[in-house]
Amino acid sequence: MSKYMTFTEIAFKDRALLVAALEEIGCIEIQQGNALPLGCYYSEQTPQTADVIVPRNTIGNAYGDIGFQRNEAGALTPIIDDLDRARVMGGRFIPQLRLAYHERVVQTVAARLRGTVHRTVEGGVIKLKVRY
Amino acid sequence: MPEINFTLDEQTGELEMKIAGVPGAQCADVAKLVTEILGEPERAENTQEFYVRANVKPQVQNRKG
Repeated sequence: MSKYMTFTEIAFKDRALLVAALEEIGCIEIQQGNALPLGCYYSEQTPQTADVIVPRNTIGNAYGDIGFQRNEAGALTPIIDDLDRARVMGGRFIPQLRLAYHERVVQTVAARLRGTVHRTVEGGVIKLKVRY
Repeated sequence: MPEINFTLDEQTGELEMKIAGVPGAQCADVAKLVTEILGEPERAENTQEFYVRANVKPQVQNRKG
């Protein structure tokens, strides 16, 4: 049997893996909780809350905190100012975070299956093969 | 040997996954394990390999004594 699945939504289901991925890409002073108030640059912005927060000015996010709030499916989705999204890590904050998160997901799957991971990079594509 | 092939796009961080060579119920278990950690995929389908194997009929040969 063989199955093919694609994951394109920007959502992070596992909080611990998300925090580890944030730390891996250089985020510091990460706050965790429930419905924590999210700081913003403009006072007239609608107040928002998040369960995981990367404080403003800790990774080049000059316009506000970067938050992650649970959606209806239970996954954490990012809340980030458009200007920060374009500036932080040269506009690569979300892609880099997704890569770090997904690599940790693969390691977790391999560990649960007691398998091994073989990693290769070919022309902008990272290939991870789990054998068990 | 059963294997799971993950492909990450370095530009977007998007993930694709293909499970190969895993017997039926075990394949479903692996898919479940992945979705527990990743959430529901935007797209999921059984590949051609699945249908080829599913259509194989057992053959019985008569023995001549």
